[in-house]
Amino acid sequence: MAGASGIGIWGVPLGVLGGAIRISTPFLFVSLGECVTEKSGRVNLGLEGTLVMGAMSAYAVSYLSGSPWIGVLAAGLVGVPFGALHGWLSSRPRVNDIALGIAMMLLGVGLAFYLGKPYIKPTAPHLPALPLGFWSDNAEVRAALDVNALFVLGLVLAPTLGWFFRSTRPGLVLRIVGENAEAARAMGYDVDRVRLFATMAGGFLAGVAGSFLSLFYPGSWNERLSSGQGLMAVALVIFARWDPLRCLYASLLFGGASAIGPALQSVGITSGYYLFNAAPYVLTLLIMIASSSATRTSADMPAELSVLR
Amino acid sequence: MSAALASVPAPPALEAVGITKRFGDSTVLDSASLRLAPGSVHAILGENGAGKSTLVKCIMGFYRADAGEVTIGGKVVALDGPRDAQRHGLGMVYQHFTLVENMTVGENLVLSRAELPFVVDFAKERREIDAFMERMPFRLDPTRIVRNLAAGEKQKLEILKQLYLGTRIVILDEPTSVLTPAEADEVLSLLGTMAKEGRISVLMITHKFREVVGFADDVTVLRRGAVVGGGKASELSPAQMAEMMVGSEVPRASVKRSAVEGGAVVLEVKGLRAADDIGVEVLSGVDLLVTEGEVVGVAGVSGNGQDELVEILAGQRAPTSGEVRVGGARYGGTRTEISARRVRLLPEAPLKNACVAALSVSDNIGLRVFDESPYTVARFGVSRGALRRAAEAAIRAFGIRTPSADAAIGTLSGGNVQRAVLARELDGRIALLVAANPCFGLDFGAVAEIRARILLARNEGAAVLLVSTDLDEIFALSDRILVMSEGRIVHETPAESADLGVIGRHMAGHS
Amino acid sequence: MRRTGLEAVLVPLGAVGATLALFGAFVTAAGQNPFSVYYEMYRGAFGTWFSFQNTLLRASPLMLTALCTALPARLGLIVIGGEGALVLGGLAAAVAGAHLSADSPLFGSGLMLLAAAVVGGLWIALSITLRAYRGVNETISSLLLAYIGIALLNHFVEGPLKDPASLNKPSTRPIPDALMIGSLPGLDVHYGLAFGVVFSVVAWVLMTKTTFGFASSVVGGNVRAARLAGLPVERLMVLAGFLGGAAAGLAGGVEVAAVHGAANASLVAGYGYAGILVAFLARHDPLAIVPVAILLGGINASGGLLQRVFGLPDATVSVLQGLLFVAILASESLYGRLRFFQRSERKAATSKLAVA
Repeated sequence: MAGASGIGIWGVPLGVLGGAIRISTPFLFVSLGECVTEKSGRVNLGLEGTLVMGAMSAYAVSYLSGSPWIGVLAAGLVGVPFGALHGWLSSRPRVNDIALGIAMMLLGVGLAFYLGKPYIKPTAPHLPALPLGFWSDNAEVRAALDVNALFVLGLVLAPTLGWFFRSTRPGLVLRIVGENAEAARAMGYDVDRVRLFATMAGGFLAGVAGSFLSLFYPGSWNERLSSGQGLMAVALVIFARWDPLRCLYASLLFGGASAIGPALQSVGITSGYYLFNAAPYVLTLLIMIASSSATRTSADMPAELSVLR
Repeated sequence: MSAALASVPAPPALEAVGITKRFGDSTVLDSASLRLAPGSVHAILGENGAGKSTLVKCIMGFYRADAGEVTIGGKVVALDGPRDAQRHGLGMVYQHFTLVENMTVGENLVLSRAELPFVVDFAKERREIDAFMERMPFRLDPTRIVRNLAAGEKQKLEILKQLYLGTRIVILDEPTSVLTPAEADEVLSLLGTMAKEGRISVLMITHKFREVVGFADDVTVLRRGAVVGGGKASELSPAQMAEMMVGSEVPRASVKRSAVEGGAVVLEVKGLRAADDIGVEVLSGVDLLVTEGEVVGVAGVSGNGQDELVEILAGQRAPTSGEVRVGGARYGGTRTEISARRVRLLPEAPLKNACVAALSVSDNIGLRVFDESPYTVARFGVSRGALRRAAEAAIRAFGIRTPSADAAIGTLSGGNVQRAVLARELDGRIALLVAANPCFGLDFGAVAEIRARILLARNEGAAVLLVSTDLDEIFALSDRILVMSEGRIVHETPAESADLGVIGRHMAGHS
Repeated sequence: MRRTGLEAVLVPLGAVGATLALFGAFVTAAGQNPFSVYYEMYRGAFGTWFSFQNTLLRASPLMLTALCTALPARLGLIVIGGEGALVLGGLAAAVAGAHLSADSPLFGSGLMLLAAAVVGGLWIALSITLRAYRGVNETISSLLLAYIGIALLNHFVEGPLKDPASLNKPSTRPIPDALMIGSLPGLDVHYGLAFGVVFSVVAWVLMTKTTFGFASSVVGGNVRAARLAGLPVERLMVLAGFLGGAAAGLAGGVEVAAVHGAANASLVAGYGYAGILVAFLARHDPLAIVPVAILLGGINASGGLLQRVFGLPDATVSVLQGLLFVAILASESLYGRLRFFQRSERKAATSKLAVA
């Protein structure tokens, strides 16, 4: 394959770039979802399960309806009740949101595998791509620059969310709740309800992230589809210091790291393939080590998130 | 909301009649009444647990009173929480700030409004805030991040917020507890001036006579949920008010301070620096000495590094530089050092700082000794029986009220938790005792007992470092007084020649 | 929160009941009779001697991986990366076994398992070290390390350590037969079960009867109080992480030494993740882990039967486990809220007010 295209080793950076865009999309949506949730002062580790549920539902609905976009919408809508369940249960006394997230993760993954069993074989219509590589007659260049429509949507969503937190009433209220629940209560806001909505919105975005996995890349539904994006999102949001725009950059970085292995493989370098596959996890870990401190917490962290260190 | 305040009618009168509030089987407020005259400053005086906060929370609609009614301008209202109160011109300033630290002054003001548009136009809001600030007797830069404001500025922002909202009746819950005496005077006199001008009425919870005498027009005294007295503040002496507050309760027990010969240095702190949780330096080179048999009081407004100093001495925080020496050798708060140098601590908020709420009273009392003979079995085992027997003895000796030694300590009242900690910390011979606001939030009886025990430890030769934001406490217990401000010791004086004014100025960072 | 005796039994039972009802509705929706599903599950898990032994086989690694979550949890740490410790433990055992001579089987097997435990322990201790000394969230880092551990296993099994003879399923070189661990006397269950039970009991003694356990519960209850008492908080945390990881690593070692005979992708069987569930259901009580692991092992074992008899997907049991997990956590909020139990607490509250 490398020889045929004629660009040889240049296939690696190109592959990494294309891969960064491709692989970053689910990271982007799920991290934006986690960002919304965490801004309200809650952590939802269950997004991994929501993501897999979203992937399954999107695939099934796309297959049944013939429209991948209805599939994306269905994935988001499936994420909402998952977020709602987490949001509601976490507001009950003595229910630990971290542990509950782990439980929701197992439940979501289990349900997705159960309900998705019939959809492993059939082929569902995929999401369209924007052929930004049209100018080149090189197949590899074109493949790398086939940018999916959801990524573009995410590109718009990230700054929009930034504006939402800065300048809109619901966004500001969400931040107050995440920064000082006591103050929010004194102002008459219902803290639990705000967090419930924030977790539901996070669930929606995680579901959409899942739809990308099954409807674009890798582009099929099976039980090995997700590789922990939902959980890595939590680390990614810390790295992005709870800023949606920085979530975008961080997602691209993660996407690029994940693309190294496949890109090298495509030019025939296969030794250490599994090690390169672990690159995003190693990167996440290194970033967490670099951005953490035993003695201090980030000044950007929503103050109500003190559980997450 | 932003209508000019200069020529408005006087604020409406506020009256609470026969307010009764029960929690479970206990009556916290028993038919309490008060009247806040338009344009006046009215103080509610009472000791901890007297029902002051409950009364204002019933007025504000946080709690629904079991009996009684509230009238504003002669009309009966049943307020349903802070939003509803705001519509009636009532606003409250809390003991602890309800500001969003990571936002600007301007954002905090805008966000306090009940009605916000979906999209907030901050450029326009900014112009309106500037115009509002112009009319105010004091100002703050709207672009500053609240996190970086001093305590006094935060309190001013809380008050500005109420004025910005058009509040006519401002209710304050111990508004000066986090301020220096000078800051407190400034804030209270601003409020007083605005009340005299007829802009607002002020209802203020306090337990400081000085503030009542200096700034209030009227006073209502609460004791155990009932109104026990009141009237014109100018017609009451502090002694009369104190008698109303305390009633027939035992006055402060005092332990005789025996003369202790100037002994050896026990605690030596040299060039200590430390940062807070987000990395801002809060201790900037603290030096101090405490010798055997003396109480050194560290005065200061909270938030000037005292918490971090105590945390370092407690082994809960690592300094960035400098050192702590106890008994002549470097001290890092390890278990062997604590045990060998006989260091003990009475932190504030003992449930948060010194106890494990879910563990039993017995385990908590045994926290210092569970790994020492005779509480161990075969060196690595713990004898729960031995711990329980020791705890039962302590429960009797210190009068800790608990269902049993096996009850979780988190179910006890604050005073009893502190007694359990006292029992643990004051057991045996003590070389160094560090006490931080040890009486905070406790009633008179417990306060007297704890202070007596601290003096007793001193008389037996312990070096005592007392860190307190309560100047009365500092004066009552100390042999020597240090003042801490902005992470440094800025003033030192023997207690007998200490001057409140001088100390207050140093607390405020002026010398 | 102290729980009255009756409450401590009734609330979890209620959660289990609610789960069974929900799951019953779930399989009803799938067109099955819930009662016959439950009956078959019982039969598949505990109904026959054969199926019970199968359940015990599945339960034994769960006991050990549950300790990987339960021991650090006593110190307030949430570790969910037992899978990584398990696979690397298995890899270590396989490497050690392939290099050991079979002359002294007992010593050799012991050394294999020791290697497994040490490697697994170090893996989790690494995660906890990052938490204790660097403030890195241990829940996420332990999971990341699990993914990295699995990648390492794949790398070594398919690369440097691959046995050229293993074609269909890349594996390490097989360990000598003499070093394989046999079955418990009179049972078709290997010694892993004994390890699971013994280590659970030892962990219980450690956590409830020793100074280490006392110190751990202080750290878990309030780190500030632990520091005030001068306890070496960081070292205690790392040690608990090491012990938990060692248990999970041992589970991997047993899988290699008693089941697979070499390290390969079969080690990645999800025992690490199921162990999290066991630990939470057992409320991190090492003694409770034994019966809960047997229950969960039984549910897992019955999955195949559900597939054969009812044509239900094998993920059906995952749904049941997920529902159970959520229900148990949600039931936490019920303690002290059921009117029936409040009499004694009310009394305590009254006396508290009287004192205040």
